[in-house]
Amino acid sequence: MSSVPAIEARGITRVFQSRKGFFYQDVTRTEALRGVDLTIETGEIFGLLGPNGAGKTTLTKILTTLLLPTSGTARVLGLDVTKDTERLRARIGLVLGGERGLYNRISARENLRYFADLYGVPLAEREKRVNEVLEWVGLTWAADRRTEEYSRGMKQKLHIARGILHRPEVLFLDEPTIGLDPKSARETRKLIRSLLGEGVTIFLTTHYMFEAEELCHRIGVLSRGRLAAVDTVAGLRDLVGGDRTIEAEDYGFEDSELAAVRHLPGVSKVVSEEYGPVTRLTIRVRTGDLTIDTVRQNLIGHGGLQVRERRTSLEDVYLDLVEEEAR
Amino acid sequence: MATVSVPRAHWSGRRSTLASIRLAVLTFLADPQWLIPSMIAPIVFGFVSFELFLGTPDLVVYVILGAGMMSMWGQTLYGSGWATGQDRNIGTLEPTLSAPTPYVFVVLGRILWNVVSGLIGIVLVFVVVVVATGTVPSIDNPVAFVVLFVFTMLTLAAVGTVFAAAYVYTRYAGFVQNVGEFAFYIGTGCMFPIVILPFWTNPIALLFPPSWALDALRYASIPGYVGFSWGLGWDIVGGVATTAIYLLIAGIVFKRVERHVLEVGNLQEY
Repeated sequence: MSSVPAIEARGITRVFQSRKGFFYQDVTRTEALRGVDLTIETGEIFGLLGPNGAGKTTLTKILTTLLLPTSGTARVLGLDVTKDTERLRARIGLVLGGERGLYNRISARENLRYFADLYGVPLAEREKRVNEVLEWVGLTWAADRRTEEYSRGMKQKLHIARGILHRPEVLFLDEPTIGLDPKSARETRKLIRSLLGEGVTIFLTTHYMFEAEELCHRIGVLSRGRLAAVDTVAGLRDLVGGDRTIEAEDYGFEDSELAAVRHLPGVSKVVSEEYGPVTRLTIRVRTGDLTIDTVRQNLIGHGGLQVRERRTSLEDVYLDLVEEEAR
Repeated sequence: MATVSVPRAHWSGRRSTLASIRLAVLTFLADPQWLIPSMIAPIVFGFVSFELFLGTPDLVVYVILGAGMMSMWGQTLYGSGWATGQDRNIGTLEPTLSAPTPYVFVVLGRILWNVVSGLIGIVLVFVVVVVATGTVPSIDNPVAFVVLFVFTMLTLAAVGTVFAAAYVYTRYAGFVQNVGEFAFYIGTGCMFPIVILPFWTNPIALLFPPSWALDALRYASIPGYVGFSWGLGWDIVGGVATTAIYLLIAGIVFKRVERHVLEVGNLQEY
């Protein structure tokens, strides 16, 4: 195992400036990243979660040498992303995905041959490697078709094939399953998981909680350009107050009832939300013996009360952290 | 955790340039719209030149050079810059720049292909003019003509490289090129010798390497041609010097442009 972390970022900030007006006189500054510190070990699948505009793609582009940070330092495989770009680009892969980013009038095979040449895949191995990755993503049958005839899912697979063509040691995937139908998304996740067996470190950004939970060893939650938390799913659950969640719903609760629930042993957090006439109490339970019945006893007198228990989901964790950061 | 142990890939400029040529050829063959600039436009230019030079001695040479060079100019310059603009439009600029190969080699491959496809135009014009007039042109100095023809292609490629850098720099480069295209046609002497233009235009034209090369080419192919008063020798010196300056500028500009786009983060804009 290498002693150098696969990815190491310290104090990364990125400010974008946009200009408007006839003489471009109006300058708007947007802070996309605000002091991001991150360490990812070799062989890890790391997931970066965050709402739109949180800075996920910006961070990905900085780590893949496609964008310079305004301040801070980042090293990938021990190489400085702003200075050792040429050496680093040969050792990492980037999958931006989506409908764009491919030469649509030529075949998938020709797309891959072109990028194999740009990445310097040894010429003697080029055809073998192109065939290998096509087979690996399940596109051998359509290898000689123009990519303009490809579905969104097929294009996504081709993006992944291109990303791993030169056997990168670290692969960056920016929202690899966005816009895919459930079957294609599942196949894509399977492909990503199987890369671990190849020893590839994976940095993944996604909107989908279940995807991050299913694939990632550790997860970072990025909100408003700041890393709100980085941990395993279990660690993140703990961070937001426990892995059990009890939900109670009825037509309004008294303040005294809320206070009573908050003071029950094991309760770490109670959030009250209105859904039309209905109020939902989300009660985060750290550990202990608190049961649905205990909650019910403290909310006595509510005829239509509905109480249920579930495991705290990553979505709960995510929303808690993002809301906390927003405050 | 296991680490990957595979032979490291090494990019090569020559291989990347060849890959870029190959991609340009495949794209050309896959897209029938290229027939217009590479095959139909030269013939139209030929007819325009024919009308323009009617009554001139050595009409055929004038027409072939005028129309052919216009075609080459369009293909080389417009094609090279446009291809980079297309990379922006279809989203391939980011994946291409994320490869270890410097982008200038990709551009070089495209320019070389565009020069070759421009040649198709000049051959077409030659065939059409010879068939239409029934005259096979006689070239004053065939060896010098061939050498200077290749030299003219190089001068066009040098300008094309600078234009391609502009397309990497900003998505608005196409606007400048579209506006300037016809001014360049005339101002550099593609269509007719620039000495017949008002004198004040000449210094501007001489900032562009093809102006020198085209004048030299006419000296070599048209008996009794009177171009710039300093003659063929100084045309070559001027062409070589301005081409070297353009290539130097392109080298510097490309490095700066690649850095600049990483600073401003506009690679995905189209």
